[in-house]
Amino acid sequence: MSTPLIALYNIRQRYSGRTVLAIDRLDIEPGSIVGLAGPNGSGKSTLLRLLAFLETPASGTLTFMGNPVPDKPNGVHKQVTLLVQEPYLLKRSVHANIAYGLKVRGESDITTKVNHALDTVGLPPDVFSHRQWFELSGGEAQRVALAARLVLKPKALLMDEPTASLDGQSATLIRQAALAARKEYGASLVVASHDMTWLNAVCDHIFHLEHGTITDKQ
Amino acid sequence: MDYLLQGFIQGFVLLFTGNAETYSAIWTTVGASTLSMIASLSIGIPLGFLLGHKKFPGKKIVRTIVDTLLSFPTVVIGLLVYALLTRHGPLGGTGLLFSIPGIAIGQTILGLPIIIAMTATAVEALDKRLPLTLITLGANPRQILWATVIEARYSLMLAAVAAYGRIVSEIGISMMVGGNIKWHTRTITTAIALETGKGEFAMGIALGMVLLTVALIVNIFASGLKKRAIQ
Repeated sequence: MSTPLIALYNIRQRYSGRTVLAIDRLDIEPGSIVGLAGPNGSGKSTLLRLLAFLETPASGTLTFMGNPVPDKPNGVHKQVTLLVQEPYLLKRSVHANIAYGLKVRGESDITTKVNHALDTVGLPPDVFSHRQWFELSGGEAQRVALAARLVLKPKALLMDEPTASLDGQSATLIRQAALAARKEYGASLVVASHDMTWLNAVCDHIFHLEHGTITDKQ
Repeated sequence: MDYLLQGFIQGFVLLFTGNAETYSAIWTTVGASTLSMIASLSIGIPLGFLLGHKKFPGKKIVRTIVDTLLSFPTVVIGLLVYALLTRHGPLGGTGLLFSIPGIAIGQTILGLPIIIAMTATAVEALDKRLPLTLITLGANPRQILWATVIEARYSLMLAAVAAYGRIVSEIGISMMVGGNIKWHTRTITTAIALETGKGEFAMGIALGMVLLTVALIVNIFASGLKKRAIQ
């Protein structure tokens, strides 16, 4: 059995003394697609923030590629990225937004990579590359945010309700682009969504959460 | 009303014929305000960033003090700086009294609260999703800090424009610390006061037109920056 990309052991997360998440064991295998289902407040977003190493658990162990993760895991943040339901775009052009992650990594050939990422999310680079952040619709902004993450070729792409507030066409493009990440470079995908049809169609495993615990695994 | 019309005509003549005394006051104003803006921005932006970004004991008290200093009367600043720079004062040996850098020190004290308060407000008003976004894109703490400054850039420029508007139009500091010395520390505002007192409206009107033009430019910039800052 291969080493999990991300693993949670006896994780407990508490806010103001109240336990909001209690998971004894959860593995995200390399290249897998994992769905998180459950009602609002069931702990999906908290779990995603832990998987993205944005929060430190109150107790328990988180590992990345078999190694425990330190409190300030900047190296891991370069390999795991999170797309939220209403992402924030930097007050810059579309090109600069997508290029940001590449620049902080000191990568080269940025324009080619940015254009490819824009193509992947269905936004023609010649039309969108130079648009400013305030010139985008909600669906376009969400696709730009996804492109900014896809361009980084992360080992894990975590998505929190990525299509919840989008029209049908934008949602389809987001789903296709996310799947392309696994196909092109073997990224693991973890998707929290109420869209059970989509989760059933694409996920290797679906974890159902309720009151902060996993109640079922498909 | 004739004398006013006459003043306007003479004012235009002074401006467009390059009258040396008029332009001396303009360049003195430009020199002092440039120095004070450089100092205000260099000191004020980091302090404002800290005040808006960090949590520390006494933060509310510091914020209240800064907000109170926004309405610091220029004559009181002039008095304090004069007391510091006068021959018997603690900084008397520097020889900065009745000099352009002396005026700039006072104007920096005037501009600093504006820059600090507006920078702190700008940083506090930044979207709470920004740090999370930067972390998930792989930025390290230094890169997060820099990107945050860049995100607040329109608000910071607005702070600079507001401070410049206040600095360029003040008279108390320039008069008390500069001494209104012809060809040396006479600024636009002190020249207007002096010339009006002498009943010489032409130069006052010429310099007033320069100040109004500056105010207009400042407002045009401020309006554009406000729009960008809230987008």
